Amino acid sequence: MTPAAADEQDRDLVQRCLEGQRDAASGLVDRYQKRLFNVALRMLYNVQDAEDVTQTVFLNAFLELRTYNPRYKFFSWIYRMTVNESLNMLKRRKPTVTLDDEFDIRAPGAAPDRAAEVQDRVEKALMSLKPDDRAVVVLRHFVSFSYQEIADVLEIPVRTVKSRLYTARERLRLTLREGVR
Amino acid sequence: MLNRGQIELIHREIDGANTPEESAAFRSLLEEDPEAKALEADLRHVAQLFDRVGEREPPPRLKRAILDALPQQARASPRAESGWLTPGAIVRWFVFQLRLATERMEEAIMNKKMMLVGGTVIAIAIVVAVRVTGFPPEGGAAGTIGGVEQAARYRGRAMTQADVTLKNPEIQALFQNDQILRLVQSDVFREAMRNQAFRELQANEAYRRLMASEAYRQLEANQAFRELQANEAYRQLQTSKAFGEMQANEAFRELQASEAYRQLQTSKAFGEMQANEAFRELQAQGAFRESQSTEAMRQLQASEAFRQLQANPAFRQLQASEAFRQLQANEAFRQLQANEAFRQLQASEAFRQLQANEAFRQLQANEAFRQLQASEAFRQLQANQAFRQLQASDAFRQLQASDAFRQLQAAEAFRSLSRSQALSEAFMREAMRVAQ
Repeated sequence: MTPAAADEQDRDLVQRCLEGQRDAASGLVDRYQKRLFNVALRMLYNVQDAEDVTQTVFLNAFLELRTYNPRYKFFSWIYRMTVNESLNMLKRRKPTVTLDDEFDIRAPGAAPDRAAEVQDRVEKALMSLKPDDRAVVVLRHFVSFSYQEIADVLEIPVRTVKSRLYTARERLRLTLREGVR
Repeated sequence: MLNRGQIELIHREIDGANTPEESAAFRSLLEEDPEAKALEADLRHVAQLFDRVGEREPPPRLKRAILDALPQQARASPRAESGWLTPGAIVRWFVFQLRLATERMEEAIMNKKMMLVGGTVIAIAIVVAVRVTGFPPEGGAAGTIGGVEQAARYRGRAMTQADVTLKNPEIQALFQNDQILRLVQSDVFREAMRNQAFRELQANEAYRRLMASEAYRQLEANQAFRELQANEAYRQLQTSKAFGEMQANEAFRELQASEAYRQLQTSKAFGEMQANEAFRELQAQGAFRESQSTEAMRQLQASEAFRQLQANPAFRQLQASEAFRQLQANEAFRQLQANEAFRQLQASEAFRQLQANEAFRQLQANEAFRQLQASEAFRQLQANQAFRQLQASDAFRQLQASDAFRQLQAAEAFRSLSRSQALSEAFMREAMRVAQ
């Protein structure tokens, strides 16, 4: 599906949601829940928190759907809510042990051992970044957004996106240098 | 030393953001400057690592939890003019937010002042919401987070003074639940509490992490796992030294996590072979393990056990299977064949029974079980003497077989105990007190 067709489909689903059609709400959840959950998970490194964030984002999105301006891309809007909610969660988070920090639950279908090791190392390295920098890395590498799309989602200038991304990647380069090849 | 512009050029190339002219400049830079080349290689490596990290599936309950929390009116009336923003919708949203806030506050339960202030704020907010909307929050909305009933903590029977001595709300929440109260007062729980291994495990970090994990919770709900827990051969195996060593063995874990091994475990032919005396004898032979070499193969073919096997249709079927061929080529499997503990294990009657056990084979094919087996926490537990003793104890088996215990393990409040050793210990102390 082309980006334009995807936007059109989003707009259609949003419009139908505003008309109160439940299947449209279900469609939006189907379309975005995995992506949003994964963004939250990379930001938080905790399955339970990621689940809470995803749920909160959807509920807030549905309730604030009337405030959404269809001139802008829906995905920018909902990804922004996800990043912001994740950042809020991080601020609220107490410096205590999290449920899943050290418990290795790998992605279904992912090969064990080596793949899990890589996943673990990358996720831990991500958590060593500042949350704002991490958000840029997550959107660039896990959602494959362009600089401009990241700037739109985070509502920051493109030059700030680049600066954060390059700084974060440099740090990750040093962190992961000794890692798996 | 690379300047800022050159570094940015490399980053932009990695991101595919360079124009053709910039890409040409980038290539020239790499040819001329080894430092640039090294940086590019490192950054590409980082990007490749990200590519290798797969997306995770959200919990299956998430969608339902989201949709359940949406306004009821919109569901009942597909074309409701009022859309989502009905009073009922606001109340449901408010209840949802309230529950999140409550849970977050519970995480800060040690702070009494926060609880006092928070409790007052929540009470006022509920009164305001009810007054404004005219809709009292419904209890039915309470189970929406994560789609899991939240330990009935908001509707449990009122605690009596005799029930609670600890001031910790999470512990109190657990003991508000009738089923959990009945559990801790039951004979099986008392018996388990008297079990030193059980008490030791409650203080064990790996055990608590395991109990709090989603995979373990899924497993607890799995019929095959429950059957296995009650299986005599499995219990014997849990207490065997060879099995303990195998659980701690990297190659064995690797093998168990491999697709080929999983396929084999679920195949009927492999199951029959595991129960076949000649096959087991063969597997214990050095020649079979070294059958990659011609000499070893000749020895093997000359053996009586191999001749018996050749006459067995199940063995021929196994040999023809792709999974078996993959397994034979699997380095972990070959390592294991040479491993003394694995050979002991394969020669043991308990393991043989287990291999032929349908529940065990089903479990081997179970994603949650495979995740658990691959997890560090589970591995630590398997190597833990107290855990193995516990698995073999009648009291613990009965405890695990009880619905109440499974409910306890599935309760959010119980899982939250894993956040703190102090909380976990407080629960055990209180459980012992209530159980008396």
